[in-house]
Amino acid sequence: MGATDGGREPGSGQFVQRLAAATCSLLGIGSTVPVLAQEEPTWALDTSFLYYGESDERVQDLSLNVLARRLFADDKVLSFGLVYDSLTGASPSGAIPLNEVQTFTRPSGNDVYTVQPGELPLDDTFLDTRYALTATWQQPLGRLYTGSVGLSFSTEYDYTHAGLNFGITRDFNKRNTTLSLGAAIARDEIDPEGGAPLPLAPMGNIGDLSARRPGTEDKDVVDLLIGVTQVVNEHLLVQVNYSLSDSSGYLNDPYKILTVVDPATGEGIARVPAPGTAGPLHEYRFESRPDQRTKHSLFVQGKYYMGGKVLDVSWRYMTDDWEIDSHTLEAKLRWPLGDRGWVEPHLRFYTQTEAEFYRPSLPVGELPEFASADYRLAPFDAWTAGLKYGFRTASGNEAGIRLEYYRQDGSVPDGLLIGNQDGDALSPELDAVILTVSYGFDL
Amino acid sequence: MGVEPWERGVLAKPEMQLVVDPLEAGIDDHIYFSKEASSGGRGFGGGGCGCN
Repeated sequence: MGATDGGREPGSGQFVQRLAAATCSLLGIGSTVPVLAQEEPTWALDTSFLYYGESDERVQDLSLNVLARRLFADDKVLSFGLVYDSLTGASPSGAIPLNEVQTFTRPSGNDVYTVQPGELPLDDTFLDTRYALTATWQQPLGRLYTGSVGLSFSTEYDYTHAGLNFGITRDFNKRNTTLSLGAAIARDEIDPEGGAPLPLAPMGNIGDLSARRPGTEDKDVVDLLIGVTQVVNEHLLVQVNYSLSDSSGYLNDPYKILTVVDPATGEGIARVPAPGTAGPLHEYRFESRPDQRTKHSLFVQGKYYMGGKVLDVSWRYMTDDWEIDSHTLEAKLRWPLGDRGWVEPHLRFYTQTEAEFYRPSLPVGELPEFASADYRLAPFDAWTAGLKYGFRTASGNEAGIRLEYYRQDGSVPDGLLIGNQDGDALSPELDAVILTVSYGFDL
Repeated sequence: MGVEPWERGVLAKPEMQLVVDPLEAGIDDHIYFSKEASSGGRGFGGGGCGCN
């Protein structure tokens, strides 16, 4: 460990540039800096601990993240990533609050849970452990090209992901312009608790799995990306990316439901479970989404150096054939503190329109082809505000702590409300705290 | 537009890389992928989880 070629001293350009190239490769984007020769292989390790906690006993995540990069002579880089997530808490089921006690059959079909009048129905059986692994190899291809190939794999209780990605970059114009091309394919398998509900099937009593399809469902995802990075001057760097993402297969969330309501009042429809068994006291149906989705994204990022401070701003526009449009605006300002420290305030604003088949409830007797009450397909705005403090230790390692607050705020459009429903009451607000502690060192 | 090779001192600084902290970028992508209808842009769309 040291501050020589492999160290983390600021301005140790070769190390930084090689890591930058490796980082960009991992994220499927191009780098503007060449990778330079390395005398002896070294490992660079980044580690991070994450606490993510939502209010109202919703999702809590404790996560450990490690990224290890081995830097070889002749500019080749091997990277491994490992993520461990421990998730607990409850998540909105999609059902709306009612003025009466609500009872729901759990996804397993073995039990029921109860929600009090006026409360947002949350499914509290949410508990999972997730492991994710990535491996990437990157190397120069001739003088101006860099190529990469990567694998990704993750597994959790009811979900498995396997993916493959490729990237190539080419430098132009004295390496002031870099063109990046990337492609990724993935196959995900979903094995829902209790089987996948048939689209819009009614929620049944305990033990009734007749409207479930046993076995696994799958989803294929293809991503394509093209990007240009341009050095504007000594202090300004700009990147523009266009990406296309196509998903096909099982795109439902098997645990999300819709409340069936009276078309005149918007109130729930009472239901009586079969004699001798327990089950829902109102009518609910499982959601139904299209089996195909195509997303287009435009991403623009600028980095500007101002006498030691660095401003990082970005904008992303996303549009898809589910008729969701979104904008994401983000800004970070890194401000040096003393010789080895810095602070970085961070602001992020996000806004999205609803999917064309989003509806907070379903009038009785209506059975559209597609319907979902998932809050992530609803219209909402979200804010993130945070602050990071980082410093370099005497031995040249980097440590950081970051605290952020995330808030989602939505309101159901009047056109989707039925009877006496209140748009604000049907939109679950979300508040979350994000805490990360990170440490990076070389071996 | 652009610079000569000897004018890259500032651009080579760690804090001037497009992605300064890849772990943090990955964590953020995963959080927002789980809570919003959009993902990717900077890189690939992410995913690979049945996030609730």
